[in-house]
Amino acid sequence: MSKLIIEGVGRIFPGRGDRAPTEALQPIAVTVEDNDFISILGPSGCGKSTLLRIIAGLDNPSSGRVLLDGLPVSRPGADRGMVFQSYTLFPWLTVRENIRFGLREKALPQARQDEIVAHYIAQVGLAGFEHHYPKMLSGGMQQRTAIARALANDPKILLLDEPFGALDHQTRSLMQELLLGIWESDRKTVLFVTHDIEEAIFMANRVLVMTARPGSIKSETAVDFAHPRHYTIKTSTPFARLKARLTEEIRVEALKVAAMA
Amino acid sequence: MTPLKPISPIPRVVLGVLFFLLFFIAWSVATFGGFVPKTFLADPLTMLREGWNLFVFYGFIKDIGITIWRVIGGFILAALVGVPLGIAMGAYKPVEAFFEPFISFARYLPASAFIPLLILWAGIGETQKLLVIFIGSFFQIVLMVAVTVGATRRDLVEAAYTLGASASGIVRRVLLPGSAPAIAETLRLVLGWAWTYVIVAELIGASSGIGHMITDSQALLNTGQIIFGIIVIGFIGLISDFAFKWGNQRMFAWSLA
Repeated sequence: MSKLIIEGVGRIFPGRGDRAPTEALQPIAVTVEDNDFISILGPSGCGKSTLLRIIAGLDNPSSGRVLLDGLPVSRPGADRGMVFQSYTLFPWLTVRENIRFGLREKALPQARQDEIVAHYIAQVGLAGFEHHYPKMLSGGMQQRTAIARALANDPKILLLDEPFGALDHQTRSLMQELLLGIWESDRKTVLFVTHDIEEAIFMANRVLVMTARPGSIKSETAVDFAHPRHYTIKTSTPFARLKARLTEEIRVEALKVAAMA
Repeated sequence: MTPLKPISPIPRVVLGVLFFLLFFIAWSVATFGGFVPKTFLADPLTMLREGWNLFVFYGFIKDIGITIWRVIGGFILAALVGVPLGIAMGAYKPVEAFFEPFISFARYLPASAFIPLLILWAGIGETQKLLVIFIGSFFQIVLMVAVTVGATRRDLVEAAYTLGASASGIVRRVLLPGSAPAIAETLRLVLGWAWTYVIVAELIGASSGIGHMITDSQALLNTGQIIFGIIVIGFIGLISDFAFKWGNQRMFAWSLA
């Protein structure tokens, strides 16, 4: 059975006063299989974040529905972990306590919590920073903590909304490798929203390209590079060819966005 | 001077002390130089001597104790009721819709104007003093706490939801800890205002306290004692403010850079 089914999900934001309603998403249908790593690539304002928020249950679709393991999604829950573009660690909790947040909500036994937290701290390379507060961490470390915090809940699907968008280029590349490494070892189902083409291809096994607003799925591309992937594939010819094609597709949409503005 | 450029600790203390010195010098010149009649303004030395007399002959320490207890008592009462109500209003919009209009209105009712009414209701005992402080602090605390809690970062709330937090989990584990430093800061501010109300309450219908001493001294034209009383209030306020700040910094180290 498919993990996540998006059935005709559309979103129209109601107008206020004289302003007409805005259609952010045209009804979209996507099927996500178990262990998929899907990148959703689109120009800014195309509704890709809205789609992710609907899947997370943070926003309601105007039409259609989202099914996770066959059950409709109506509200946020621990079965869908999310990492946001903005830094959303709880500033009053240390790295350790941030990662523990969902586990405490589930009221797991203390020893089990410690074990899980220690595992993810090691996996995202934060050993030695357990007792730091978010303010003391770099952006990359904060996002690593946020990924660990989402993974610690053992969600059925991991939703990432441009998590590396605010990071510098080098940190960003390292974070991609880290996330890809985690996926290669744990095979979590992942939906990754981004506007960075290289990033979208490097980690995913499928790339969905979205159109300019109102967003819809423009194309779907399988990415067949073997795992484990090494960062050097980014400079290989097949990678470059794929990137060139997606660049063209996105460019058409970006031009539409520019024309709307 | 460059805008917003920090200043190192030693010059900062020196500058701060310098103003006090200038203030005293100006005061001394005005009084010792004979520019102001002694009846209206005592000189600094007389003020200190009168202060000494207050402690030694008039049991001023008891007045100070009474006033402090009134402030703290009324303030704690107001905080005990006001903080939870403010949190409930900030977290739950229907609760806010119910209370907010009335409290916004009540906030502008001057606490001191209630004194005659409160004397009628509660006499001139301690209850009346506590009520004045309570009325003066409560509405402020409620509104400021409600605004603080209501302004919690939405992205943190959403993150908590995606981590499986329940509605009560959001309140307990996000809204409360996230607002705690600002709530503590609100309490620090309101405690300062409570000091103003207590003195007003003691100026009218009281038989003890710093405010009462000041009214007595006015009848005797003893400006030295009045000024000493005012300075004592200032000092206690400063000390409680420092204590509050210190406590807040210790408790909420995470909110500092």
